[in-house]
Amino acid sequence: MVPDPAAPPGVVCTGLAKTWAGGLVAVRPTDLVLKPGQTTAFVGPSGCGKSTLLRMIAGLEQPSAGHVLIDGKPPAETLRKAGLSVAFQDPSLLPWRSVRGNIELALSLARRPVNRASVDQLIALVGLQGFAEARPAELSGGMRQRAAIARALATEPQLLLLDEPFGAVDELTRQQLAQDLPRIWEARGTTTVLVTHSVTEAVMLSDRVIVFSPRPAEVIADIAIDLARPRSAQDARQPRFAALVEDVFAALTRGAALRDAALAAQ
Amino acid sequence: MTPGPMTPGMTAAQPRPATGSRRAGLAGLGVIVLGWEALGHLLGGTFLLAPPSAVVGYLVENHALMGRALAATLTNALAGFVLGNLAAIALAALALIWPAAQRVVTGVALVIFCLPLVATGPILRVLMGPGDGPQIVLAALAVYYTTLIPLLVGLRAAPSSWFDLVRSYGRGRLAALVHVRMRAALPYLFAGLQIAAPAAILGAMVGEFTGAERGIGVLTVRAMRGLDVEMTWAIATLATGVAVMAYLGIGLLARRVLTDAPPMILAPPAEPRGRSAGLAAALLGAVSVLAVVVLLWGGGLALFGVNPFFAKGPEDVLAALFWQPDAAQTRATLGEALVETGVLLIPGYLAGLIAGAGLAIAFTLLPRLAITAMPLAIALRSVPIVTTAPLIVLMLGRGAVGTVALVAVMVFFPTLVACLHGLRQTPGQVTDVFDSYAAGPLQRLVRLQIPAMLPAFFAAARMAVPAAVLAVTVVEWLATGIGIGTLMALSASVSDHDMLWSAVALVAALSALGYAAVGAVEARVLHIYAPEQSR
Amino acid sequence: MTHRPMMSRRSLLAAGGATLGLAGFGLGTGRALAQTQVALQLSWLHSAQFAGSYIAQDRGFWAEGGLEVALLQGGPNAPVEPPVVAGTALIGISAADYTAAAVEQGAPFRILGVAMQKNPFVIASLPDTPVTTPAELVGKKIGMALANTPVLQALCTLNGVDINAIEIVPTQYSPQPLLTGEVDCLLCWETDLPVAMTIEGLSPVTMLMADHGYAVHSQTYIATTDSLANRRAELVALMRGEVRGWEAYRENTDAAAELTLRMFPDAGLSLETQRLQAARQVPLMFSDLTDANGFGWWTDETVAANIETLALLGRKVTPDLWDRSILDEVHGA
Repeated sequence: MVPDPAAPPGVVCTGLAKTWAGGLVAVRPTDLVLKPGQTTAFVGPSGCGKSTLLRMIAGLEQPSAGHVLIDGKPPAETLRKAGLSVAFQDPSLLPWRSVRGNIELALSLARRPVNRASVDQLIALVGLQGFAEARPAELSGGMRQRAAIARALATEPQLLLLDEPFGAVDELTRQQLAQDLPRIWEARGTTTVLVTHSVTEAVMLSDRVIVFSPRPAEVIADIAIDLARPRSAQDARQPRFAALVEDVFAALTRGAALRDAALAAQ
Repeated sequence: MTPGPMTPGMTAAQPRPATGSRRAGLAGLGVIVLGWEALGHLLGGTFLLAPPSAVVGYLVENHALMGRALAATLTNALAGFVLGNLAAIALAALALIWPAAQRVVTGVALVIFCLPLVATGPILRVLMGPGDGPQIVLAALAVYYTTLIPLLVGLRAAPSSWFDLVRSYGRGRLAALVHVRMRAALPYLFAGLQIAAPAAILGAMVGEFTGAERGIGVLTVRAMRGLDVEMTWAIATLATGVAVMAYLGIGLLARRVLTDAPPMILAPPAEPRGRSAGLAAALLGAVSVLAVVVLLWGGGLALFGVNPFFAKGPEDVLAALFWQPDAAQTRATLGEALVETGVLLIPGYLAGLIAGAGLAIAFTLLPRLAITAMPLAIALRSVPIVTTAPLIVLMLGRGAVGTVALVAVMVFFPTLVACLHGLRQTPGQVTDVFDSYAAGPLQRLVRLQIPAMLPAFFAAARMAVPAAVLAVTVVEWLATGIGIGTLMALSASVSDHDMLWSAVALVAALSALGYAAVGAVEARVLHIYAPEQSR
Repeated sequence: MTHRPMMSRRSLLAAGGATLGLAGFGLGTGRALAQTQVALQLSWLHSAQFAGSYIAQDRGFWAEGGLEVALLQGGPNAPVEPPVVAGTALIGISAADYTAAAVEQGAPFRILGVAMQKNPFVIASLPDTPVTTPAELVGKKIGMALANTPVLQALCTLNGVDINAIEIVPTQYSPQPLLTGEVDCLLCWETDLPVAMTIEGLSPVTMLMADHGYAVHSQTYIATTDSLANRRAELVALMRGEVRGWEAYRENTDAAAELTLRMFPDAGLSLETQRLQAARQVPLMFSDLTDANGFGWWTDETVAANIETLALLGRKVTPDLWDRSILDEVHGA
């Protein structure tokens, strides 16, 4: 089968595990298959290793065991053709560059042509019109997050990896972002992985939620989110939505209990 | 003049002075000039001090001579400044490309930086012959280390996520260097360059003492010998003025180029990952540094084919210190000189640290004082010590006070600047916590600001070690006639080159060890007060 | 052969040509001919102290001998003996004590000529409390560099004075402590600090140590034995220029001072000071001995006196440190 280069890739993790140099186990061997064009959320308690898993998928961290295949190839190959984008926990904007400068940097790092009009369009899309020339220090936390997401989207990646992208944002802005931004990548059919510890956010944004145990990360539950798209704030009041949130919460609680039992048994 | 501390923040973080404070600063300068004038007249006839009016008169009358001399010195200083900083950039690049080499690169760089100028001058003159060589090389040697260290910090002074960002687009270390490291290091580079500018002028002047044809260093010697007080003070004023302008000029340039305040990272450049810390690694590092130094030393002499009458290799120094029949005598002479030096060096060094930190605290409590006293502090810091050492010793006496004072002056300013910066680092939220308990300024100082100042203080203390050694050896050589500085000058004049090279090796080694010792104290203290800085 | 970085292949060829030219046509004026490049290492900053050399340069005395001489300035931190050993300078201006020290360390030096017959060290004092004999040092405070203690010790031994009866105050090389009354006298050179004090309007009293038995040849011309064996022609030409230069200097020291200022406008010299210095060093450089035998001369007696004083300074030397062959050739010609 010849893969279509424009089609979003699938991600396959086989026996993927990470143990830190000091012997600390971050991720237990994990098998995952992420379908092309789907948005998957990784949910788990703080410090459980879900971000490490994401970084291994992104090719930023070498697994201790197992491997990742993106569209059948190792992440390094996807990286080489700048086929993915990562939005990090902190916005990671270079302070000496303007919003536009930061977005353009991503394009030139990805060896893509810089089109001023399309960058402007992107800036408008994330609601930063009028701030194109502002430096990060002049922006609020939420605006910086939006700029970082605009940068991640600028290269039109086939695989988008979001590591708690709305972490440092107040609740209202967070809801707004969670409502507006997914439309952008959904429209492009991008394969997306979202790491979050907000259960409602996970349910709102994704097609599938994977719940991890406390560290070392282990898959506790794999919950399909069969809500219609596009979703809006109203959808969150639907009983189906509440039930799904309840399912995820239950899985999280189970994970914590399992951990406590394991500790008690020692 | 002094190799200052690593205070990357000081260039960019210095706020543009408001008109009011600028006026107060000018007023402070005016008070100083008036006091100087009055003192000059008071001391008339003692051949100690020329008042500013006489200095200006001399400069106007002899502007052609002074202009030519200044041009000669500045040309060499500039050449040394450029070469020294390029060398620093090259070494930083080497440490970046080959991280395993960083410990050895910085160690060897430190040892070379600790070579006493008093002795390296004549050695360079013999190696390079007549011309501008020694002036340029001494200027370069005076600057490269104070640029290298902040640069090494700066090149790593970026959150890891910035590098992840570059990697996430499939780009390698080159792209990270171009897009992240180089720009992130810029504030640190400017901090280094700012410290380097007066140092280059001092280096060029000391180089002129080795037989240069022209320059303000040559004129300094002439003026001191000729009892020409006006000329001496005119040269000191001119040299200081130029050094201050270079210092301020680079600061101004930095503020124009840099838009953001850099993060304050004062710790020594972090060891690259994958290196195990601990005693064994430190020992291995020290041994490697020693091996490279010995190799450079012996190999360099062999390569240049320097005459063995003058050039002594590591084996000659070992023989002179341990195997020759008069080795015990040599060791005793060196030991005696080192003790003479040490009893003045250490109090001066400590006094400078205490004065610097104390004044920084006073400035924080009384901000008005800072505005008035800062111009004097900058001037003191920029005065080339070779012009002032004899003057200060004349005024304060050849006893302990003069030497201690001069060493303290060399140490004091970098400490002051670093501590002021450190005091400003207190996180705003923590300050709010103290405010919420209605804590007074004193309590805030003791419990909050002084601990926050410690990293900066120790960075300054570390870098002040070679500066203090430079000061004490220059004072001994030019003014007091005792200690290791004089021993080196004297050994050179009576062709006792075994003694000269032994003294050089010993001074460099002890300075480097002193630096390391302060670094060790720093690591312990920061481990408690600023764990985020002591990785 | 000694390594000679100053000597390029071209200048070696040129030197051969010059010698040939002189031999073939017996021409005295070598200006038009190619010159051999050599260097003379001075012991201090440019001043009237070396004005004889400047005259030799200015009037072409060296050029006539086929030499192009570079005058390498000294300074407070400038090496003098090492460039001669290394071959950077053909001849250096040293002093018998420094030369002796260098020879002890293995430098193959010979003294070819003595510019200062009398050592320039003096005890300088002010007219109110003058020191005119070594005995008058007793009970006085003397300002000097500690490094010169052996010099004072030698003077005391030569004159039966107890050095412990003199209070030594370590000072930098400046007249200032004398003027402020911190000390009663200074150990310095006849030609520098006393000159500076005189220019400032004072009338210092100086006691020349050479008049009280301190016999150390100063401003001596030194070269290596290797040069003596292999570069005699150049040594002779250089010394001949020196001798002629210093003889011309003696004729008119004011003119010599003016030439010094003209040649070194960047040295920051004052004409008044240079005139005085030039005049004051004449009695140190010229004597009945040099009148009879020529500039730079010495005798077995003066060498013996030098050896005795040097021994007091802790330097052991033998008479063969002095080599008269070059001067013989210069003055014999």
